[in-house]
Amino acid sequence: MPKMDFIQVKVKRQANPRLKPYWEEYRVKYRPYMNIITVLQELRKNPHTFDNRPSSVIAWEASCLEEVCGTCTMVINGRVRQACSALVDQLGESITIEPMTKFPVVRDLVVDRSVIFRSLKRLKTWVPVDGTHALGPGPKMGPDEALERYEMSKCIACGCCMEVCPQINERSEFVGAAAINQVRLFNSHPTGKVIERERLKALMEKGGIEDCGNAQNCVKACPKEIPLVTSIADVNRQMTLNLLDLLKK
Amino acid sequence: MTPTSTRSFWLRRLHSLSGVFPIGAFLLEHMFTNSFILQGPEAYNEKIEFLRHLPYVAVLEIVFIGLPILYHAGYGIYVWMTGKVNLRWYPYAQNWLYVLQRWTGVMALVYIGVHVYETRIVNALYGTEVSFARMQEIVSQPQMFWFYVIGLLAVCFHFANGLWGFCVSWGMTIGPKSQRAAGIFSGILGLTIFGAGLNALIYLIQ
Amino acid sequence: MKSQAKLIVVGGGLAGLMAAIRLAEGGYTVDLFSIVPCRRSHSVCAQGGINASVNTKGEGDSPRMHFEETVYGGDFLANQPLVMGMCEAAPEIVYLLDRLGVAFNRTPEGNLDFRRFGGTRFHRTAFAGSTTGQQMVYALDEQVRRLEAQGLINRFEGWEFLSAVMEEGSRVRGIVAIQLASMEIRAFRADAVIMATGGVGMIFGRSTNSTICTGSAAGALYEQGAWYANGEFIQVHPTAIPGEDKNRLMSEAIRGEGGRVWTYKNGKPWYFLEEMYPKYGNLVPRDIASRAIFKVCRQDKLGVDGKDVVYLDISHLDKNMLTKKLGGVIEIYEKFVGDDPRKVPMRVFPSVHYTMGGLYVTNDHMTNIPGLLAAGECDYQYHGANRLGANSLLSCVYGGQVAARTAIQYVEALESSSESIGAKLFDQEVKKQKDRNDQLMRSRGKENPYHLWEEMAAAMTEHVTVIRKNDGLKAADQKLTELQERVKDVNLNDLSEWTNQPLIFTRELENMLLLARVIAQGALRRDESRGAHYKPDFPERNDKDWLKTTLAAYAPEGPKFSYEKVDISLMKPRERKY
Repeated sequence: MPKMDFIQVKVKRQANPRLKPYWEEYRVKYRPYMNIITVLQELRKNPHTFDNRPSSVIAWEASCLEEVCGTCTMVINGRVRQACSALVDQLGESITIEPMTKFPVVRDLVVDRSVIFRSLKRLKTWVPVDGTHALGPGPKMGPDEALERYEMSKCIACGCCMEVCPQINERSEFVGAAAINQVRLFNSHPTGKVIERERLKALMEKGGIEDCGNAQNCVKACPKEIPLVTSIADVNRQMTLNLLDLLKK
Repeated sequence: MTPTSTRSFWLRRLHSLSGVFPIGAFLLEHMFTNSFILQGPEAYNEKIEFLRHLPYVAVLEIVFIGLPILYHAGYGIYVWMTGKVNLRWYPYAQNWLYVLQRWTGVMALVYIGVHVYETRIVNALYGTEVSFARMQEIVSQPQMFWFYVIGLLAVCFHFANGLWGFCVSWGMTIGPKSQRAAGIFSGILGLTIFGAGLNALIYLIQ
Repeated sequence: MKSQAKLIVVGGGLAGLMAAIRLAEGGYTVDLFSIVPCRRSHSVCAQGGINASVNTKGEGDSPRMHFEETVYGGDFLANQPLVMGMCEAAPEIVYLLDRLGVAFNRTPEGNLDFRRFGGTRFHRTAFAGSTTGQQMVYALDEQVRRLEAQGLINRFEGWEFLSAVMEEGSRVRGIVAIQLASMEIRAFRADAVIMATGGVGMIFGRSTNSTICTGSAAGALYEQGAWYANGEFIQVHPTAIPGEDKNRLMSEAIRGEGGRVWTYKNGKPWYFLEEMYPKYGNLVPRDIASRAIFKVCRQDKLGVDGKDVVYLDISHLDKNMLTKKLGGVIEIYEKFVGDDPRKVPMRVFPSVHYTMGGLYVTNDHMTNIPGLLAAGECDYQYHGANRLGANSLLSCVYGGQVAARTAIQYVEALESSSESIGAKLFDQEVKKQKDRNDQLMRSRGKENPYHLWEEMAAAMTEHVTVIRKNDGLKAADQKLTELQERVKDVNLNDLSEWTNQPLIFTRELENMLLLARVIAQGALRRDESRGAHYKPDFPERNDKDWLKTTLAAYAPEGPKFSYEKVDISLMKPRERKY
């Protein structure tokens, strides 16, 4: 671990969606066990640039701080990750922080990821139950199957897989690995399966599963280590097996 | 706003399919036929004669070779344009393969264009027969030799990696293990046909 | 009334999601407000599981046992009929979640698996790995999405509650909220409003809570006349990783699966919980475990390396089982500390964790203001003076269901709809909130709101957590009064009218200070020890004087307290010994 007194922090800032982004440099006193959250907390307590000019408080979002909510996702030293688990000791004394690039910037490090949830709505990633009233226990399921579903179900909708996907950009509206993984998750549930074809059909629409370019960055970037590539391939298989039915309509 | 058309899905699936069948199948056949070069001019010219006199050869060539390649190339360029390379921060092996697949696709297109021009179009324009001698004439120019080697490499890589991607896109290989196995198989297949092609090229200039 | 009735739910965690679903299923249109997308609510942090006595292990467990242990664990401060209702509903709730696709762990036969938790000797806790709360939020969030697709629920994610719109002297008719990106302030009409805004951990700075758990909405309502009950009961969880930005929870499930707490004594491992409480061992309730760890570290000075740290050890357990049942928490420890708990014992210390107190509600979850309901961690019911592990997810879902039912009954009996009220009432409230924002924007004082927050948190953590002394509590309250003055002299360091976070935070801070005083003063008054509230100068529980619910009502000079009898109709209080 390099011994350091101060950390140099460069933050890409943007006052609002219409204005141009710019970089601002800061200096933060180093303490052991800092993460990017504590760095940003320091900066809001003392919003001054490295040469001591007053600066506005940087806008950023966080919530759980234990990598289970996905809120504080940003691009740190070039790579997308959660700020809460980005430890300064592993980042070095010069750190750059940028907003995610695949989602519209709201302000500074805050981005609008609502597209993720719109996709889920379109893909009907829910179990179509009759209602939430007392209708007895759910379907039985073996422990291995349950475990496999659990692995898929850990997605925190952070958008890392979309950020690293070369197929998502201003020229392509690819839905991304996370959404496809949700389709697999709900298609694997005994009751969720009932509307399996509706989900597959939705995935055939523009920006659907066919836009996957197989770069497989998603699975490497996923902080929850969800087998995203496997999920995409599995849904591809479902597509193939249902091809004739899907062709009908 | 809401995308409702499934056209792009079918076009993309067709693109994927056309790469393996018929284009990939033709590539295998072509490389096999080329290997008759190793048996000397007569054997090779005889094979060419045979192929040239297949029944409905023009229809076969247009429907099973020409159009699929044009479609695969055209849609491939569209696919290429919808991607955005990000190797700088995410230099993973698979990401490299993704980028190489696009580059080799373009390289293969240029190579195939030149190759078709020098053989079939030159033949149509000037009546130069496609033969052992003609091929020898082309690749004996050093720059053309290297152009052929690189072109061949691009084609073989594009085919092998494409075949691996095909297995994923159609859901034939799902888990990391089967994908790795398919990768090894595709890699060996790609190297084999590259080796066969290279062998023929070297034979021509000896 | 039914046809045009419209309801609002504030908060997109478990209680809010459940309430919204039930309202929509009842045929009502719901506006659902949440600061963050519902999937990012604090409920996702709940790790261990959800209690339901289904007795699948043939141990003789029953809802009655669950009830008794919950009331006993809460040191008899909970209103008993409500707890009974919750425990009876628990099996159906777990079955419901199972039907919704929550990836619960399973037995070899394919049934739900249950594990042990603190304060019980039964296997009563259904769990999905060690991210049960996350899995439950996702399942309910997807159901909300289903109803959203049917046009029954409108989501307002990225909006923060500012105040209720109230008819003078009568009922709630809507809310005023601010969009955090655009800073747009708007009034929303509603015939009933269900608050499900969670706990107040941020008042203590570092806690196991998410940064959004400020209690700001509850504070604002308290200022508007809602009563706040049992504020002094704040649960301190015994095992968390101390951190600079937050203390990261190490689930009770770790001890449920066989984890042991120890430190060195005379050079040898000392399993002090097992020694002190032979019957429950490491699975004594949280208040007791936290006090034991405090005693070992502070009084006996036996913390690891002389620090405020003890070991939580799972290195002796089966590695395969650990990955399957505790993978999520192990991952947190690995990521944030860097050690592998499968090999080395974890270093932990108690941390503020749960708000037992909250908005006062009657048995049907209505607050003292008609049309305003509360459910989940932001209400005060079910847990008494100390919450048992894995009861929070249950109380959130159950509370959401009850609140929705009450809200429907309420709006059906309403004579006039909120739509029939003139715009003036709403415009006035919007103007009031805009004026407050303008005032803060103009303020060019010298106080940084984030510094003030740290000062508040330090005072609260020092004096109002595990060990409480009256002079300390007085000092804390004095500090809070001082901060309430200083916050008037704030400087936002941000003049933007777009996504102005310091402005929002300052408003939250003002509300936190209001509730902090309720907590500190409530603790000061309660001269006894009960559950999480422990005063060494009054070490015994005193049922004669203090078996009652604390009620705080807002007054400009500070909270006004009154007390209400606890409903103990189902089980006679007895001494709490583990």
